[in-house]
Amino acid sequence: MPKQIKMIAACGAGVNSSHQIKDAVEAEMKKRGHNVSVDAYMVKDVNEELLNKYDGYLTIAKTDLSFTPKVPVIDAGAILYRIPAMATPVYDTVEKIVKGLE
Amino acid sequence: MVFSISSSNHGLFVSDAVFVSNAKTQDEVFAEVADKLVATNYVKDDFLAHVKEREANYPTGIDLTPISTELPNVAIPHTEGEYVNERLVVPVKLANPLKFHNMIVPDEELEVKFLFMILNNDPEGQANILAQIMDFLGQTSVDDLNKLFQMDDPSAIYQFLMENFKQA
Repeated sequence: MPKQIKMIAACGAGVNSSHQIKDAVEAEMKKRGHNVSVDAYMVKDVNEELLNKYDGYLTIAKTDLSFTPKVPVIDAGAILYRIPAMATPVYDTVEKIVKGLE
Repeated sequence: MVFSISSSNHGLFVSDAVFVSNAKTQDEVFAEVADKLVATNYVKDDFLAHVKEREANYPTGIDLTPISTELPNVAIPHTEGEYVNERLVVPVKLANPLKFHNMIVPDEELEVKFLFMILNNDPEGQANILAQIMDFLGQTSVDDLNKLFQMDDPSAIYQFLMENFKQA
């Protein structure tokens, strides 16, 4: 099994959008032969220290962060529509980052 | 004997949590719906304050133009699971279109005609509610969706969703 890559997905309540992104990214990366695990968080709980434990940050909206993350930030909101043409470019970006770390 | 209703006994919709609102502002519709949801014990007393705060900080408007330019926009207001008692989608037809900010592009304002308010006290447990809403919007024909969005009778809305919304 390839090396596990860990990412965060965050949304306002940490209940709906972040979990949808988590499920979608984990499933698509598994399909592409990668081992990606995503944790869902509330945006307000995402800080520099937390992000340092992860390999990437999947965001739903362009949220202003009070710090510059050291990990790649991936604009993943388009996945929410569940339209393949919108989701594929996001998955491709995630996969590029994953391949770079494996 | 005391009977208790557990959330597993119903699907994502219940007939007494479907609304048509004449509200003229976001605050008005949230207050109106929250009052009714508190009365039926679907949410906790502090639901209103939290759903308003969340909407202000992390808006939930969804631009439906990527699905079809002939559809009005919707919003999916919600808050953390600790303020709700059930796992439900609460449909709210807005007789007066209201402004919501776009969830993905928060600076952008959208005119919204229908709410799918999400009550979710179990984000991990079952099939993702938001994914099911998006599949419903993406897979139902535009004509049928527009029929739904034009309805002004809660029981007709409930019936339509029971027949057309595929629940995982």
